[in-house]
Amino acid sequence: MSGYDWRHAAARRDDGVRTVTRFTWRAGVAGVLCSAIIGLAFGHHADTQTAHQHQQGILVPNQPPRPGHGAGQVTSGAT
Amino acid sequence: MTTSTVARDSFGVFGTTAVLLVTEAGALSQARALADAELAAVDLACSRFRPDSELTAVNAAGGAAVTVTEMFADLLAAALRAARLTDGDVDPTCGQALAGLGYDRDFAQVRAGGPASLGTVFGPVPGWRRVEFDQQVLRVRVPTGTQLDLGATAKAWASDHCAELIAGRLGCGVLVSLGGDLAVAGPVPDDGWRVRVTDDHAAGPEAPGQTVTITDGGLATSSTTVRTWTAGDRQVHHIIDPATGEPARSCWRTVSVAAGTCFDANTASTAAIIRGEAAAAWLDDAGLPARLVRPDGTVVTTAGWPADDDPAPSS
Repeated sequence: MSGYDWRHAAARRDDGVRTVTRFTWRAGVAGVLCSAIIGLAFGHHADTQTAHQHQQGILVPNQPPRPGHGAGQVTSGAT
Repeated sequence: MTTSTVARDSFGVFGTTAVLLVTEAGALSQARALADAELAAVDLACSRFRPDSELTAVNAAGGAAVTVTEMFADLLAAALRAARLTDGDVDPTCGQALAGLGYDRDFAQVRAGGPASLGTVFGPVPGWRRVEFDQQVLRVRVPTGTQLDLGATAKAWASDHCAELIAGRLGCGVLVSLGGDLAVAGPVPDDGWRVRVTDDHAAGPEAPGQTVTITDGGLATSSTTVRTWTAGDRQVHHIIDPATGEPARSCWRTVSVAAGTCFDANTASTAAIIRGEAAAAWLDDAGLPARLVRPDGTVVTTAGWPADDDPAPSS
């Protein structure tokens, strides 16, 4: 035991802690970036979905009916 | 626009009257042949009263999945779309409710048969979400006891498809009306297609109502006053409120809607009858021009429908 290098061991421990800390920070930053990218992607997708669903609603005519005069060429009533 | 003379044909189909107008007189017979073939295929797919129809097979499958044709799949997909767009107010699972009211055969037979007996305990219809449908593999399954009825939507779907088919094949302008649900396609006559909007499609071209012109899409009318019959001691009609399983008790006697297609017009007009007072705001918000008539003849219009200078008479 007397030959054990305590100072070297402590330095190695500190290096390890720094390495873990560095990786933790990098993972955190990467997570934030990924979240932002995913958020942008899903946000865009949500907009697309809304627009798509709106387009798939009941279709309105290009022109509303205009006043007509006299008899009709055809009758629209219930069957 | 076209200055060609409009040629006309009229014939019976789906227990009602079809009217075919084309802007090229020489195209009329070919247009009629195209319409006949399309309508025959639709009838074979989804008639509730034909023992050989696909709809009868699906309804009789006892909860088993059934393989269907592309046409039936298209018709069912359209009906389910109508249900989705109206939050279930236009629901294809009303077949049992209609049959329970005595509407279990061609309507002419229902009316001729005298008072029908009420064969049902009213309640909400099964609901369109219970229909299992895979359009990719053309498979349909409805739970035991659920009866599909595509009558509310198939007629309008057929009007759209006939009009598109005829205009596409023959290159002429065309109007197809099936029992008053009408679609137009192709070149438009100079002054548009002139339509008399009234309660009953079988009424004459000068029946009480309003004349309007349309240039695109479709126009459909739903009413509680025409397809009526006696069941038990009640006067009933064919527009079922899915929430109750009974004929809708509406504050409107007739609703006409113009939309991008006849199908969508029919979906909106049927839903409006069921939605009652809230329908006017709903149609306005959706940008759908509509004419809603109360039982006393009062008219409400939405989204650019022209003013009614010829009020409908009281019923």
